[in-house]
Amino acid sequence: MQNLLKILLRYSNFLVFVLLEVAAFLLIVYNHAAPRSSVLSTANRMVAWQYETVSEITGYFHLRQQNDQLAMENAALRNQLAQAEGAEIIQYQSAKVVQMTTDRLHNYLTINCGTDDGIQRGQGVRNENGVVGVVRTVGTHYSVVMPIINTMMNLSCRFLKNDYIGTLQWDGKDSRFALLTDVAAHMVVNTGDTIVTSGLSPIFPEGIPVGIVESSVLHEGDSYYTIHIRLSTNFKRLKYVEVIHNADQIQIEELLDGLD
Amino acid sequence: MDWTKQIIRYAVVMVLQVLLFDQLQLLGVCHPYIYILCLMMMPITLPHISDMLIGATAGLIMDIFCNSLGVHTSACILLMYVRPYILSALINETDRLNEQLSLHSLGMEAMTKYVVILVLLHHLTVFMLAAWSWQHVGFVVLETLVSSLLTILVILGYNILKYR
Repeated sequence: MQNLLKILLRYSNFLVFVLLEVAAFLLIVYNHAAPRSSVLSTANRMVAWQYETVSEITGYFHLRQQNDQLAMENAALRNQLAQAEGAEIIQYQSAKVVQMTTDRLHNYLTINCGTDDGIQRGQGVRNENGVVGVVRTVGTHYSVVMPIINTMMNLSCRFLKNDYIGTLQWDGKDSRFALLTDVAAHMVVNTGDTIVTSGLSPIFPEGIPVGIVESSVLHEGDSYYTIHIRLSTNFKRLKYVEVIHNADQIQIEELLDGLD
Repeated sequence: MDWTKQIIRYAVVMVLQVLLFDQLQLLGVCHPYIYILCLMMMPITLPHISDMLIGATAGLIMDIFCNSLGVHTSACILLMYVRPYILSALINETDRLNEQLSLHSLGMEAMTKYVVILVLLHHLTVFMLAAWSWQHVGFVVLETLVSSLLTILVILGYNILKYR
């Protein structure tokens, strides 16, 4: 017993090191599986507030551009209003981007809406041009969104022209482009084809623009295309987004949970 | 150890890290983590275990800013764990250090080696754990080399300016 204690004491540094590392690894695994802690992320009120203050200050440098963008968006909305029909189950909550990275493998953005504004984990986020991402962590006033330019993200899409389904993934290289996978060789893919959300999951309603085909290659012997998509959303200039409240989403998820 | 001085240095370095170095967009591969300057330059007076706990705390705070829970934490714990071993491997008589880590006490050669080894180790750990797959190994290595270069220059520059 005394010997054991001696050994433990002798290697106590190493033991503490191993224990701490195990704890840190558990944190990583937990964060990849289901990050529900809003305190330990940029949804943390103090951290997000700091980012927001800085973006308020730097925001003045982009005012003219923002005005142009808002004017265009207003016009587009008025057009939509004119032809609006039967979409009352979907509502949009506008939010400001407080912080965002675009040049890492795992990019995230922080928006200034949280549970107090009715935001929930798993809701879709878009802007006027197209898909942005999915809400991942929710705090009371801020939330963290995983954008489609995050290598962990998969998005179900379809071709506008013939409803063929594919999966959008990001290769971690350029925030303007992503890859469309699972498109079989028998499809005819043309440069310029429009890709929209498939509507197969309740996160995004059908038909939100994702991007257009920039290039498609079918390597000899491959049964699937390698397709580069030019994304509709310009992540480098993302300032305002809209969170999608889909009244059906909760019901669908409850049904899916019941199946497990 | 002068705690006030350490904490003020940490605060200043973290502001620079979050507001300046995290915003750099150089070719998408340059993400220097200069905050480890505070950990690496901490005097070696505390017990090894306290050193590791301080490393864990600093890592956790960085993780909150990066949405990468656990990644910086484990890299900083590793950094603080190997620190004394690297130091004793680089210098024969550790007494010479006089508890202060500086250019004066270490000498240029040992200081450069110390900074290069620890920064590379820390950055490689961070980027490997952040990628969390072998799919992007090439990118991770490039990211490590480019980012480490900048961090090493900043930390060495800080030491040179301080003890010129």
